[in-house]
Amino acid sequence: MSSPFVVLPIIFQLFLAVLLMFCWTQKNLQKLISVVGSLVAVIISVVLFAAVWKEGIYTTQAGNWVAPFGITFVADTFSTLMVLLTTLAGLAVSVFSVGSVRNARIKFGYFPIYHFLLMGLNGAFLAGDIFNLYVWFEIIIISSFVLITIGGEKAQLEGAVKYVTMNLLASVVFLTAIAILYGLTGSLNMADLSLKVAEIENRGLVNVTAILFLVGFGIKSAVFPLYFWLPASYHTPPPAISAIFGGLLTKVGVYALIRVFTLIFIPDEFMINLISGMAAITILSGGIGALIQNNLRKIFSYLIICHIGFMIAGLGIYTETALIGSVFYLTHDIIVKTTLFMVAGLIFKIKGTYSLRLLGGFYKEYPKLSLLMSISLFSLVGIPPLSGFWAKLFLIEGGLSVGNYWLVGFILLGSFLTLFIIAKVWAGVFWKDSIHIPVKMQVKYFHELKPLKRQAMVGSIIFLSVLSLSIGFGAEYVIQVASKVAESLMNPQDYIHAVLGQTN
Amino acid sequence: MKTLIFKTASNYLLPLLLLFAVFILLRGHYLPGGGFVGGLIASIAFVIHSFANGLETTRKIIKFHPGFLMPVGLTIALVAGAAPWLFGMPFMTGLWMDEPIPVIGLVGSALFFDTGVFLVVIGVTLTIIFTISEGL
Amino acid sequence: MNLYDYLYYVILPVLAISTVIIFIRFLKGPTLSDRVVSLDLLLTTGIGIIAVYSIHTDQPTFLDIAMILALIAFLGTVAFSYYLEKREKNE
Repeated sequence: MSSPFVVLPIIFQLFLAVLLMFCWTQKNLQKLISVVGSLVAVIISVVLFAAVWKEGIYTTQAGNWVAPFGITFVADTFSTLMVLLTTLAGLAVSVFSVGSVRNARIKFGYFPIYHFLLMGLNGAFLAGDIFNLYVWFEIIIISSFVLITIGGEKAQLEGAVKYVTMNLLASVVFLTAIAILYGLTGSLNMADLSLKVAEIENRGLVNVTAILFLVGFGIKSAVFPLYFWLPASYHTPPPAISAIFGGLLTKVGVYALIRVFTLIFIPDEFMINLISGMAAITILSGGIGALIQNNLRKIFSYLIICHIGFMIAGLGIYTETALIGSVFYLTHDIIVKTTLFMVAGLIFKIKGTYSLRLLGGFYKEYPKLSLLMSISLFSLVGIPPLSGFWAKLFLIEGGLSVGNYWLVGFILLGSFLTLFIIAKVWAGVFWKDSIHIPVKMQVKYFHELKPLKRQAMVGSIIFLSVLSLSIGFGAEYVIQVASKVAESLMNPQDYIHAVLGQTN
Repeated sequence: MKTLIFKTASNYLLPLLLLFAVFILLRGHYLPGGGFVGGLIASIAFVIHSFANGLETTRKIIKFHPGFLMPVGLTIALVAGAAPWLFGMPFMTGLWMDEPIPVIGLVGSALFFDTGVFLVVIGVTLTIIFTISEGL
Repeated sequence: MNLYDYLYYVILPVLAISTVIIFIRFLKGPTLSDRVVSLDLLLTTGIGIIAVYSIHTDQPTFLDIAMILALIAFLGTVAFSYYLEKREKNE
């Protein structure tokens, strides 16, 4: 079905960013616009999701050029689900930013750039053209360069250099892959590519291109040999920024991987083994990396890598059940990882440190906040009925059904590692007796902030925790969505027909 | 720089180059040119002027902070892109006038989009260069 | 010999050889000012080549590219000399 308003989530974020640029100097007005605008964006994406759920895939051709030649935007269940999650996490981070981002950063245009980042994310999810996907990736990384360096602290710049270098490398690889693909098929439209790649007889070259895509997206989503930039940079920016980075940026890579490898390159035996191998080692290296870390945000950064492994594992198993697991895990992980980094930021604002050695006694001093934080921590572990549990259930079921026992073993091992790490965090931050931490002068502590700012920070964490709980308890509905997504991923005919059908 | 020749020349170059920039902008639809190149040429005009007469003089000519051009340009581009929605057509569909305007030629929504790009490029380039030359 | 042959067999070789010679000056230096001047001359020669090419292929639009290149060359030279002047003042 064709509707010109498919691009509305993208255009609305652009509109917000432009509006915010007009109020460059008014900090309070910027905060208001950002929060209200994010709320409207959530409503838009809910409406879009409902429409797609009821009536099937929506498409639009930018500039009204017909499908394989023009730029297509496609809203199927998967992409609208991702847009919905993006706007939900975006709303929470926007509220959290109101409380936690310093005025100096807002003065340098934090909010406009933040909405440009959200525009890029929405665009990447809705793009139906592989080169357009690249352009959205560029918008995402350019905005994230600004966000990661804004404020200009020394540690921040050091992390930013690694981040920028690796992401530019990924872009180059991605662009090369697109160029080869265009040379092979003469098309850039993903639905059109799906048909044309299947007809190519030179399977070796197709596999090479597929591996280039795997490397390009792999750097962005931080899978095994290419993940080291992530823990080196994600702990440096302010908490609100690392929350949106941790929650969403790597997930775009995962989304692109799942999209490309279910639509364009249907993986053969070799690719499946490669992807599952990468997934297994990603789980292991992320988990072990998190074990030896002592900084709260570094632990969470390694956990991102570990759990990216779970999502890639679903792609590696490559059955419908496993893909349900992947999509469910993606849903759960975006919400929970965003919450975790916000929790880490809140702990820092209260205690003035991220170090596990120095932290302690949190439960005794702030029992209510601790209970709130426990929700996201334990749903990460996947204790039933919290949200992480169901996703792993599907992954393991999928793995067992194809007899991929060693990958199932790694998934279980990853879960145990996560459990162990979260137990360590819980014991270190919440249960251990508190020791006196020297008061830092340059840190503005939680109790010094205005009540509105405090409520904004806690409120956004409550919002996401409730969301995470409802994913866990309302798993039935999420499973329905995820299975519809997985079904359409395994059978891309509907997608292809929706994009190209109008021309035939 | 205190050279009289350069200073005098730059006063004549500024309007000339701005005219050339607008020419490149208008020609951009079917021939080489367009908003991006035009914007660069226009900002080069201001930069040359600032080299000859000092940053403050150029600032006085522009009258407002060049960064303000960024949201203005983006708004124009956004409106030009979204205008086809009013006619129920997809985003960024080209809307064209029936009759050509003298000198400019056939005007369509693409021209307004390009004008937006033109302004954004001027805004960004001048903001960057002015900020850097302040610190020099 | 018509105009096209003249451009092709006389002007282009002259421009090409002078490019090489200017490039040697650019590499040798010895001062920064020499390099700036030779860079400016290199770009000017490039403009000449574009102009010849534009006549040869009968594409007037290339002349605009030559014009923009001239503009950028001028800006570059001015910026360099601005910088050189500033540096001398500071020393």
